[in-house]
Amino acid sequence: MNVIEIKNLTKSYGKARGIIDVSFNVEEGEIFGFIGPNGAGKSTTIRTLLSLIYPTSGSATIFGKDCVEFGPEIKKEIGYLPSEVFYYDNMKVIDLLKYSASFYKKDCSKRIKELAEIMDLDLNKKIDDLSFGNKKKVGIVQGLLHEPKLIILDEPTSGLDPLMQQKFFDLLEQENKKGATILLSSHILGEVQRLCNRVAIIKEGKIIKVEKISTLQENNHKKFKIEVKSKIEDNYFNISGVSALEINDNIISFLFRGDINLIMKKISEIQIANLWIEEPDLEEIFMHYYEKED
Amino acid sequence: MNIFMVEMKAHRKSLIIWAFSILFMVGAGMGKYAGLSSGGQSMTDLLAQMPKSMQAVMGIGTFDLSKASGFYGMIFFYLVLMAAVHAVMLGADIISKEERDKTVEFLLVKPISRNKVITSKLLAGLVNIIIFNIITLVSSIIIVGKLGKGESVGGDIVILMVGMFILQILFMVIGTAIAAVVKNPKAATGIGTAVLLISFIMSVAIDINSKIEGLKYITLFKYYEAKNLMSEVGFQLSYVILSVIIIAAMIKITYVFYKKRDMSI
Amino acid sequence: MNMFIHEMKAYRKSTIIWTCSLVGIIVLFLSIYPSFAKEADVFKELMEGFPEPVRKAFGLSVDSMSSMVGFYSYTFLYITLCGAIQAMNLGTSILSKEVREKTADFLLTKPVTRSQIITSKLLAALTSLVITNIVYLTVASFMASAVKVEDYSYKIFFMVSITLFFVQLIFLALGVIVSVLSRKIKSVLPISLGTVFGFFIAGMLASIIGDEAVRYITPFKYFDTNYIIKNSSYEARFIILEVVFIVVAITASYYVYCKKDIHAV
Repeated sequence: MNVIEIKNLTKSYGKARGIIDVSFNVEEGEIFGFIGPNGAGKSTTIRTLLSLIYPTSGSATIFGKDCVEFGPEIKKEIGYLPSEVFYYDNMKVIDLLKYSASFYKKDCSKRIKELAEIMDLDLNKKIDDLSFGNKKKVGIVQGLLHEPKLIILDEPTSGLDPLMQQKFFDLLEQENKKGATILLSSHILGEVQRLCNRVAIIKEGKIIKVEKISTLQENNHKKFKIEVKSKIEDNYFNISGVSALEINDNIISFLFRGDINLIMKKISEIQIANLWIEEPDLEEIFMHYYEKED
Repeated sequence: MNIFMVEMKAHRKSLIIWAFSILFMVGAGMGKYAGLSSGGQSMTDLLAQMPKSMQAVMGIGTFDLSKASGFYGMIFFYLVLMAAVHAVMLGADIISKEERDKTVEFLLVKPISRNKVITSKLLAGLVNIIIFNIITLVSSIIIVGKLGKGESVGGDIVILMVGMFILQILFMVIGTAIAAVVKNPKAATGIGTAVLLISFIMSVAIDINSKIEGLKYITLFKYYEAKNLMSEVGFQLSYVILSVIIIAAMIKITYVFYKKRDMSI
Repeated sequence: MNMFIHEMKAYRKSTIIWTCSLVGIIVLFLSIYPSFAKEADVFKELMEGFPEPVRKAFGLSVDSMSSMVGFYSYTFLYITLCGAIQAMNLGTSILSKEVREKTADFLLTKPVTRSQIITSKLLAALTSLVITNIVYLTVASFMASAVKVEDYSYKIFFMVSITLFFVQLIFLALGVIVSVLSRKIKSVLPISLGTVFGFFIAGMLASIIGDEAVRYITPFKYFDTNYIIKNSSYEARFIILEVVFIVVAITASYYVYCKKDIHAV
């Protein structure tokens, strides 16, 4: 079942391009990544889902209901963490969290305490006095305290230290196990790689790919680096499926895609000193999409 | 209800400052009245025969300054001015602050319709105005009672306060409407100020030159003037109806435009 | 120099709007003058019949009231009101906007001292006010000579007109010191409006009641137009008061701004 369904969603800001014909679905229980270069339209898409801004054309539904028409109703089960967190003056953390909870008609006090402990957040501090990263933590707790069925995160870990990032991911995975669906927008490819099942890539307002992470990795080249004992002829590894062949003294490196047995045969027939085989970094995969003109 | 409470708390400090200012103004003004001795009758005669434009220039109008009620009637204009400044700023601010302070992404993502947000804010604004009005009313009655040399002014003051209350609502909803229509929060307060200043200057200009009296229908301050309210003229039906229409229109505009437009983030 | 130019550009639109407003107001008022002058003549004859002390109680000389300069002085009061709002707005916002618009992290980490920052901003504000005054003076002078009924002393007219600049300077300095003492100002306009109107109303009450003491409190009464008309000069004590206030306020502002923590968010 699809929690989010986006069909041909378009938003233009006057003459400026926002998003064009964006379509993708997020299934229940998924952790779905949404990536793209700066200015691609990630935040615009998310803000439209949350009816902060209105689409120029196209539609988006969450839980089967139209985002604009049924906004207040579906937001009962949505938790949102914006990329930049701003709150009200002179409020303590606990005041803001209680205020947030008051919109959901649930008793969230236990959950608030749990989350604050995990994220190491001092509830009695004034928000004005917090650092950027700590304000982010307030945002995280604020987004999760009502145990929403759908969690939408816009660049969630910017500002968090590595330990906190770790705890945050653990938290997300826990929520996901409990049944929550997660839509995560980011351009930290490492975290997308770690958490997400599927990912949509957006560039210049248009979706260029929606794919499972595993498929993206499979369909890509493996990186080979071989240290040979004695020099071999330059064209030894020049078989079909090999690309970016580089020879530096005894180190031969290349990318290979195809039947792995072929390349293993070739390697086994020579004397080697060392061998490295790597999965391509999602970074490398995505850079390919980021740069390539489709 | 929760938004209402938060707004009330947020405006608490400002309301206290304004309340003290009003108290001070009534006190200081009437204090001067008590100290005023001579002149008496001839002053009144002189004033009565002065051409209206001159009276306006003197800032006096048709008041019998030797009477507490007359004197208070004169101060009333300035009380209303303060109340109007407070109301229009309150209205513009309370609607535009979410976008100005970037708390839009917090509040409007909550399971609450934009209409409900506006309703809570309008109510909070209204309560602030009522408190402002009550403080003015009570302090006026007490202070004028004490310093008024035995004159009974209670009834007059109440009537004046009703007029002021309507003006306050008028200016507040004009403020909210401007903020709902205009995307830029800074522009909202700016335009609200412009409306206020134009209204004020116009009311002065009309006093000086009766030829442009036709403009009084767009000069809100002229709707509820002390000199009319305290005399047999009382509340003029045309003005009251006009007020109701404007208030209803502004409220409608506030709701419709805030709901329809993109939030500026 | 770069900061000065940047600030000038930033305030360009606002300066234009205020200048046009002031010009609009004075044109409006002065165009009423001819008909006012006619009415006044009739009344002057009436006034002759009243005892001197009564006439004095109003703190004005009736002759001057209906003359060009007298009438101008009265309407000039409202010009000063608007000009004061412009100045206070400028003063309150020039330093606080770096925090409010979150550009503190940008500007205050450039290789410039905080003093240089203040100086550039003050100069830009000052220049904006000077421009406003020049344009205003030009239009007002032209307008006055166009509607005059009889000859008047241009020197007095000029002396009255430039008190706009003097009053603006006070409110500019007041705005700066207020902004420097506050941690963060989210919306400048309510503060400017409230403060200026407060002083304005105090001034109005003072002139009606004829209270000398209040004159020291409110800048609107530092330059009594009657005095200027009569003596072709300003009252020295108020000039001194103004200079002292401005020097103290600006010096304190420099000191506090250079020492205080600037919170980027």
